[in-house]
This record gives sequence, C-alpha cells and structure tokens, in this order.
Amino acid sequence: MQPPVPFHFKEQHLWLSADRCIFWEEEQALIVSDLHFGKTGHFRKHGIAVPQAVYREDLQRLLMQIQYFRPRQLLIAGDLFHSRENKELELFLKWRKDFAGLAIRLIKGNHDILHEDWYEAAEIMISPDKWQAGDFLFMHDIGSSAGETDSGLYAFTGHIHPGIRINGMGKQSLQFPCFYFGASHALLPAFGRFTGMVSIEPGGDDHVFAIVKDKVMQFQ
Amino acid sequence: MHLRETVGYRVIREWMAAGGREPFAFQETTWQHILDGRSGLVNAPTGCGKTYSVFLGALIDFINLHPDTYKTKSANGLQLLWITPLRALAKDIGRAMEEVIRETGMSWRVGIRNGDTELSERQKQKRRMPEVLITTPESLHLLLAQKDYPGLFRSLKILAVDEWHELLGSKRGVQVELAVSRIVGIASSHKPQVASGGEEDAMVKDISVWGISATIGNLDEAKEVLLSPLNASAAPAAGVIVRAQIDKPIDVESILPDEIENYPWAGHLGLKLIHKVIPILLESRTTLIFINTRGMSETWYQSLLSACPDLAGAIALHHGSIDMGLRTWVEEALHEGKLKAVVCTASLDLGVDFRPVETVIQVGSPKGVARFLQRAGRSGHQPGQVSKIWFLPTHSLELVEAAALKSAIRINFIESRTPMTMCFDVLIQYLSTLAISDGFFPDDILREVRSTYCFCDLSEDEWNNILYFITEGGAALGQYDEFRKVEVTETGLYKINSRRIAMRHRLHIGTIVSDTMLKVKFISGGYVGVIEEYFISRLSPGDVFTLAGRRLEFVMIKDMTALVRKSAARKSIVPSWNGGRMPLSANLGLMLRRKLNEASALVSRRSGKQAADIELEALKPLFALQAGLSHVPVEDELLIEQIETRDGFHLFVYPFEGRLVHEAMAALLSFRISRITAISFSFAMNDYGFELLSDQPIPVDDSNVYELFACGDLSGDIQRSVNSAEMARRKFRDIAVIGGLIFQGYPGEFKKARHLQSSASLLFNVFSEYDPHNLLIRQAYNEVMAQQMEEERLRNMLERIQKGRIVLRFPQQLTPFCFPLKVDSMREDLSSEKLEDRVRKMQAQLNRI
Repeated sequence: MQPPVPFHFKEQHLWLSADRCIFWEEEQALIVSDLHFGKTGHFRKHGIAVPQAVYREDLQRLLMQIQYFRPRQLLIAGDLFHSRENKELELFLKWRKDFAGLAIRLIKGNHDILHEDWYEAAEIMISPDKWQAGDFLFMHDIGSSAGETDSGLYAFTGHIHPGIRINGMGKQSLQFPCFYFGASHALLPAFGRFTGMVSIEPGGDDHVFAIVKDKVMQFQ
Repeated sequence: MHLRETVGYRVIREWMAAGGREPFAFQETTWQHILDGRSGLVNAPTGCGKTYSVFLGALIDFINLHPDTYKTKSANGLQLLWITPLRALAKDIGRAMEEVIRETGMSWRVGIRNGDTELSERQKQKRRMPEVLITTPESLHLLLAQKDYPGLFRSLKILAVDEWHELLGSKRGVQVELAVSRIVGIASSHKPQVASGGEEDAMVKDISVWGISATIGNLDEAKEVLLSPLNASAAPAAGVIVRAQIDKPIDVESILPDEIENYPWAGHLGLKLIHKVIPILLESRTTLIFINTRGMSETWYQSLLSACPDLAGAIALHHGSIDMGLRTWVEEALHEGKLKAVVCTASLDLGVDFRPVETVIQVGSPKGVARFLQRAGRSGHQPGQVSKIWFLPTHSLELVEAAALKSAIRINFIESRTPMTMCFDVLIQYLSTLAISDGFFPDDILREVRSTYCFCDLSEDEWNNILYFITEGGAALGQYDEFRKVEVTETGLYKINSRRIAMRHRLHIGTIVSDTMLKVKFISGGYVGVIEEYFISRLSPGDVFTLAGRRLEFVMIKDMTALVRKSAARKSIVPSWNGGRMPLSANLGLMLRRKLNEASALVSRRSGKQAADIELEALKPLFALQAGLSHVPVEDELLIEQIETRDGFHLFVYPFEGRLVHEAMAALLSFRISRITAISFSFAMNDYGFELLSDQPIPVDDSNVYELFACGDLSGDIQRSVNSAEMARRKFRDIAVIGGLIFQGYPGEFKKARHLQSSASLLFNVFSEYDPHNLLIRQAYNEVMAQQMEEERLRNMLERIQKGRIVLRFPQQLTPFCFPLKVDSMREDLSSEKLEDRVRKMQAQLNRI
C-alpha cells in the first residue's frame, strides 16, 4: 500500500488514502463516506448469498486507517449503514467499543434510516443534513441541497460514488473510484467495497485523484 | 402389438381419410414406436405433420387401451405434456389438437399453460388437469414450483418436446432436461419395483419422451441429451430416431450489384440495392425481408417507404422491441395476406406458418446454413411449392457467402447445436424451485440431476458446494450472519419457508435474461414499444430516434417510461440494440474457404473460363484486384497481410472462422507477440478475419509465424490475455440473474426492493475478490471459454493452420479483404504494459486530443 498522498487545498492539509478516505490534518479528522455497512447482511437475509468477507474487510480497513492516522474524530458524509438493523451491525457495535475515545459524527444520508436511539447507543453523533467544521461543510448529497453552498463554505459530499472513466485509443475504457474537488464542492469515493460507481465528468479546473488498485494518482 | 391391426389406428386412419389425408410413413413409424412404449426423436421440418406424429400416437395408444369407452372417457388426468419453445405456437397447436379430438368424438381436453394463461384457467387446470397440456420450459418449471406437483404428472404417458433443436444448446434446454429428469423420477418412484434380473428393453417405461426436431448436424446427440434421464438406470440404450424423408426444394438467388467495382466494400446495409428489391416485392404475393439487427431493420423499413411510397400501408416492421400488440397485428395481417412485405429480424424466424409468404429476402450474412434454411422455409408453405429466397449482400465480398450457402445446402451441411453442460446457475434456480413447492431430499434429486446430460459429470464436491450455497450462502461470519434461503428440516428435507423469498423466486423462474427495458410512450398517451435503457440513457431531450418505424423526439424519462412525441425531423438516430451478434458458423466458414479455392483458380488461370457460381463470376474483378495487391488464399492457406498506413502498422489475418474466434485469436496473438516485445495493440474483427493495429512495427515474419499460431498452451494463453475477466464479467450478468443473485425489474414496474439492487458487475467484483472459487464465477469463465472464445473451434482452427500454409504478404495499399475490417470500428485492447503505465499513456493521449 502506497502512503497517503498529500494535497494542499484551501490552505488545509489533506491526506488522500488509497483506502478511500481523507485525513484532514488541521482538524485531526478522518473523512469517509458511503460505507454501506450491513449491506451484505441485508442481501443475505433476503436469500442473496453475497460473500460477507467484504464487510469484514471494510471494517478492518477502517480500523487500519484509524490506527494509521490516529484521528480525533471520524466524519462520515452519509450512508454509514445500508438499510435496517441486522446482525452485521452488532459486529459494528463490537468494533465501535474498541475505539471508545474516537468521536464519530454522521451526517445522515438517504440510507441512514435507523432509529435515533440506535445511533445514540452506538455513540454516534448525528447531524440531520449538514455539519460545519472550519471553512468546510459536510453533507451527503450535493444534488439535493442546491444553493446550500452559497454560504461560501466548501462542501465535502458523498452519495454518488464517483468514478473516473479514462478513454484511450479505440474503445479502451477503464473506470476507477476517485476523489473529486470541484469549485464549490468535493465528492468522496464510496468507502464500502460492495458499492457501485457512477462516472463523473470533471471540468478543466477541477482536481481529480483516481484510486488505481492501491495507489492514488492525480489525473488533473 | 402391430399398429395397423389396432382399433386406435383404424379410428385415426378413418378420421384422416375423411379429410382426404393419408398418414406419412414417418408418422406411422412414430405411432408404432409409441405403442411399443419407446422413446425417441422425430426429425421433420415444420409444416408437414410433425405435430401429428406424436400427438396422434398418443390418441391411438389411448383408444387401444380403452377401445369401448375411448369416446366418453373423460377426466383421465394428464396424458400428454407438450413443451414448445414459443408461446405463440401454443394456440395453433392446441387448436389443431382440439379439432382431431372433436372430430373423432373423444372427450379429451387440451389446456395451454404459459405466461398468458389467465388465473381462472390455471385454477381450473389445478382442479382438473386436461389430458393434453401445452406449455413452455419456464411454465413447466412454474408447475414444479406448485405444492403437490407430483400428483399432476402421475398419469402422464408421453412427454413431448417440440422444436427441440431450438432449445438444445441453450439454458432453456437445460431447464427441459431437469424437468424431464424430475417427471421421469416421479414416474419411476410410484411404480412397483420390478424384481431384478428381468432383461427388459431399457427404453420401455411407463413414460416415454419424444423430441421433435428440424435437421441439425448432431441429431444423435440431440436425442441422447433429451432421453438421458430415461437411460440413467440402464446401459445407454438407444431410443429411436424417426426421419421424415421429405425434401423441400429451395431456390436461392443472389441480388447482384450491376457494377461490382462500385459496390461498397464494407459496412453498408445493402440499401444501394433497394431498387432491385422493389420489383421482387411487387411480383410476389407476400415477402419477408430478414435483416440481421433491429437497428438495420428500422432503416430498411424507412428506406423502402421512401423508395416506393406506394408501399405505405402494405409493408410493416416486426422486431423484438416493438410493442407486442403491434407485432400480433402484423402477424395476423400476414396470415390474412393483407401485407405485401414485412421487414423483420430473427423475431420471425420461428413461429406459426404464414401461408401467403411466397418469397424471402435475406439481407446480409445469415451467419449459418441452418438459419438460412429456416428463413428460406418460411416461404412457399403449401406442399409441393418451392421455397424462394434471395440473398442481398451488404458488401461485395459477402456475395461469396451466397455461393457457399448454395453448396452447403446441396450437400446438406447443417450446423450442430452443442448442448450446454454444468450450468450451475440453472441448477441453483431449479433446486430453489423444488424447495418452494414440496421441498426435496438431496440424495434423490442428485440421482435425477446426474441422470441429465448437462450434469452427468457433477461431482460430489460441486453438489455439496451448491447445497452449501443455497442453505448457508457460502462462507460467512458465523454469529453475525442471517442468511436465509433454503432451510433443512429435521427430516433432511430442503425447503424454502419464507413466503417473500418464494414469491420473488417464482417471478424469476426462467433463463432468458434481457437488458433493462424501458417502455416508450407518447406524452399524449399511446404505447410505442420497449427499448434498452442504456440506449435511452445516452439521449438528451430533443434527440430524435427511430422505433417501430416512427420518428420520435425524446422528451424525458418518468417512472421507467421514456416519454416521446412525434417528430417531423428528417434525421434521426437509429438505436443500436445490444442484441447478440451471431458469429459466422463453422460450417459456413468452411464452405467459404472452399469457395475461395474456386475464386483463386478463377483469377490465376486467366483462361477466361466462367465460374460455376454466378456470384463468383460477378466478384471476379474484386478477386483479381485482391490477387494483384496481395493474394487469394486457397482452402489450406492462411493469409496474413501487413500494411503500413497513417494510422500505424496493421496486421490483417483471415481465418474465416467467425467474429468470436477472431476476437479470441486476436487477443491470443497480441499476447504472444507482446511476449516478444513490449507492444500495445488495438484490434478489430469481423466474420472473415481480424486486425491488429499498433504504433510500432509488428514483429511477425516467416521465422516466427507458425509458432505464433501454434496450439501451445492455448487455455493458459487465453486466460493470460487480459480480456477474459472482462468477458467473464459480461457473462456473469445472465448467470447472476438466473442464479437468483439479481432481481430484474420489469418494464414499467417500480423496483420495490430498492436496498436489494446491485449490478452484476459489482457482484462479479465482490465474488471474484472475496469468494473466487464460487461455482457461478467459475461458470462465467467456462462460458467465456466455450461460447465467447469458442475454444474448441479455436483449437481446430490452429490445428488446421499448422497443417496448412501461412502466406505472408506486404501490400502497398489496403486490399479488398482488409477493407471491411479497417472500417469496422469495434476495437478492443490488449497491452503488456503495466496497468499504471497504461493509464498514464491513455491519459497522455487524451490530453493531446
């Protein structure tokens, strides 16, 4: 695994990890989005035998990132959990107990439909639609909150699971998950590995970092 | 019991005589076999009494058993189960059967059971099974999903599979095999055990199985596959094949361009010859114009109307994306002789006969001899008439195919249908089906499953793996797992108890997987048809496209429906549907290479002698040019042309083995060349050959060319060529749907289980990474090797090349052979460079644009 790639942005020090998260040095925050925990369990409960190892590895990867960066807080830009409660979430709770000192803040996404009490029990702080830290604003879906960024704050968002498609000669085409930094907002790659991807079309001044296997590569 | 001495025979014979008919020899032979309790395969073309061969046999048998009461005896339970691949055929067959029953005064009932059958009719059938049930493979499996289903089949005498050649070679065929194994299993389980030692004819059973098939290259195998479950208990006894010796004359004629030099060398739809088509239409009562793709058929329809406006109202369009109601209307109008011509695709390959059709036109390559014959057979239906088919080339070289087809027909060189094996997805679906009705005991069902041809080599390990998959969902996280599908009761019965899972499974029984389709409706109301989602997703509002012969302006998508309005725009986008592009068959490829023998002789002799085929004669100038610039290969030669152009360095190879083999060969060759030197290619292929293109010289010469085309480690080399994962990913879509991992939406239906949606591609990634030994993943790779790569055919080709001669040429300009390839845009990539380097290089290219 390649060490995280530093990215100096808006006078802040960001570290982009090929494990699909960002460490924000000034705030000592690990930023992730779209983990979709419990998704494999949800499928399996309905008779669809998706290998559960994806979920185990997602949890392990998150653990590794926390151990590596030692953040003060974990900021989640929505879709922490995929659906209703299931046993996979019990594994998450167990995992959570090992990081009792870590503050976790979830800005709710469309998939986060668990009861308030549940988050409280898991010691997850909830923001219904946005959360501000410094000059950054965290929210789940930039599409559903148009105009929200007029405040002059720069938004970090998730929801769409951005991918960047690279076309070459002929019909060569490859797609990779990516970090996208536009003029007014950033798109975070989905952390969970059991998630799809949607191609984005960046403008000329935007910054895009693709995650190619275990490397972060700047595209523009 | 001798047939002619039986009461039943007399009754049927009299009934036929009353209609002025006499049984064909093959029908009588079949009847005798049925009376003797044998199973087998009837080989007969459509429209010559193949239905009667088995159906009347069932009646004769019944009458013989009940000579005094056969007329009045009713409620006999199911006697004859009739499986047909096409719903549309059910009604016609049913009607013909009812007619016989009525006219012989019998009390049998005929029922139809398929997706169109209404609930009330289903209930009626449940209360009292008709004597004859006509159904499709899918609906038969739905019957197996009903509680107490074995009771339905206990009285069954004959299981008939119509158009078996259509089902064989597909997963629907595997569905049939499994259903046969279950029904035979039911029949033998309630039969009193016969003391061992009796050397009875192994094929004489309480239940007989009959297939009905058109001529294919592997009739024996077709029979073996279908009867396999019957043979399981004994040594593989034969079962009989009854051949109808009915030859139908076929007249093939090519539509020749006036000046071959001016006819396009590549990539056209044949529209330049439209002026020659119109007189044919006008002279014939009704003509079917077969076009290979839906997109092309839309264009042809429009062009015919502009070329001959008088035809408006007298021609119609028929393809798979047109509204069912409209298609039915077209079919009825065809029946009644109201239409002068119908532009159609494979959508009219099968189905009921349209008597008014006198002429068929095939536009472009039919890809195979069997398909060409089938299409030809759609014309001239009355006995004694000739089937007339015209061949219209879409580019010059394609004319050779007409000559090749004629020769193939002359020697009856018809393709085989290779049965599929080890379709784990179908097996998983089948086991779930059994689990939602009465449940199953693994030992019994394993015995039956192994009695099928498809799963005869199923190992203990694989079987346990599948059971593990449907009961435990594979390896999981112990206490944190809630997988639930098939549950094992204390008695060891495998059963699905969740009603929700059972319901969803019922909705997904079947093996035909279609792309996500959107309905197309006018904004003002009115339904046009359906269209693939991916096509619509590339349109912007205001774009005009063609569907069902209409120009439509795309407005928006709402509730899984594409809303459109009529457009007067002159230009429109013709959708390129993702329909399966069939590769040229091995048989037709071989015939083509033989024709090139003649072509080569024609241009080398310079004797001015005429070619035997008018098509070759017409192509003489083209072949002369090819010979001048390069070479015309004979049958045992492989021609390779290396040409340098502005685009780079091209390597053209012409094996004439169909696009799939060429695609695999291109990947293989690139891989092998890239071991010599680090080099990247893009490639293109068509049914005649393939092209590698690189920005640097391609190191292929006399010193290494035989080695590059050696078999060597073929499987390994294919696996190592980067595309197999990508191809497997594509194959996995169908497998995931059939195996119950993905729930397809229906057109216009809201996706209810939103949180259960995932794409096949995502599942493929997850399984490949976290459960790489999963049987369904393995199947995807196997299907790629067998179908996509056509490994066996590829191997045969390489062996053929090794025995023959490779001719290397370095033409100074593009040749008639390479031109179609050059134009073909489909390019795939193979590269020996590392992924990251490749991305950098691609990016650099992007930046230059």
